[in-house]
Amino acid sequence: MPAASQIKVMVVDDQTSMRAMIRRALQDLGFKDVRDKPSATEALPAIKSDRVHLVISDYNMPDMDGLQFLEAVRADPVIGKTVFIMLTGSSDREVVQKAAALGVNNYVVKPFAPAALKEKIERVFGELT
Amino acid sequence: MRRVSIVQGENAVIAEPHVIISTLLGSCVAACLYDPVAKVGGMNHFLLGEPGADHKVSGSDMARYGVHAMELLINSMMAKGASRSRLQAHLYGGANIISGLGSIGASNAAFARRFMETESISIAHCDLGGTLARKVEFLPHEGKSRCTKVAERVQERPVAPPPMPAPGGELELF
Repeated sequence: MPAASQIKVMVVDDQTSMRAMIRRALQDLGFKDVRDKPSATEALPAIKSDRVHLVISDYNMPDMDGLQFLEAVRADPVIGKTVFIMLTGSSDREVVQKAAALGVNNYVVKPFAPAALKEKIERVFGELT
Repeated sequence: MRRVSIVQGENAVIAEPHVIISTLLGSCVAACLYDPVAKVGGMNHFLLGEPGADHKVSGSDMARYGVHAMELLINSMMAKGASRSRLQAHLYGGANIISGLGSIGASNAAFARRFMETESISIAHCDLGGTLARKVEFLPHEGKSRCTKVAERVQERPVAPPPMPAPGGELELF
């Protein structure tokens, strides 16, 4: 069982309030190393220079959206296998299918309770301690 | 002039002239957002949650619904060409008019102010709180709003928060 405290996380969302809320939820779940960025264009170089185990990214962002971000991560030989969980709206069924084709590890529909986020993370990492 | 009326839980985003978005508010809050460069405006109408006898709405639940309601509005505006950095807000509502709902109006109003501050969205106009219902009209292409206090009781149905999507209960791909 992996320890949440050992998993490094990058949260990417263009809305400050959403990043803060996800950070709090992750900290309540025992994650200690959580960093965040307001855009994929800022997050991409950050996770290349300081690798993380888990990326939690919004889909709907200006400039580079979540799908483009996922594609860029998967195409990179160094960070290509990083676990990637996408946050989507309830009507983004097509987005989820595209994300699955691009190799997303899981997705969470907004608005979500911390328990839903935990379950999606555990489906990838196994039960967290 | 075309009129678009919204009710609790809805939003409308317009990028054309000669349209009025209107709503009637009690405890709920309406955020009218405007991008003066793109000339895109939108309004939402939300109630963060009603603590009741059989369920409690925690502060974090309320924040989650509010953040989501605001995100839906902002994303729709950005899809029509608005930029988050240029947004200005007019905030209305948050009255404490329904007996038994405690200070839900004040909580809604406090959330709206806090959200704008967190997101660095300037509040161009604000009329929150009090005990009277409000009729709000917003010209989304011009960014102008008008609020009229309404003496009669608004039939604003206090509702429980929308259900959270069940974990893993959506599209089963994984």
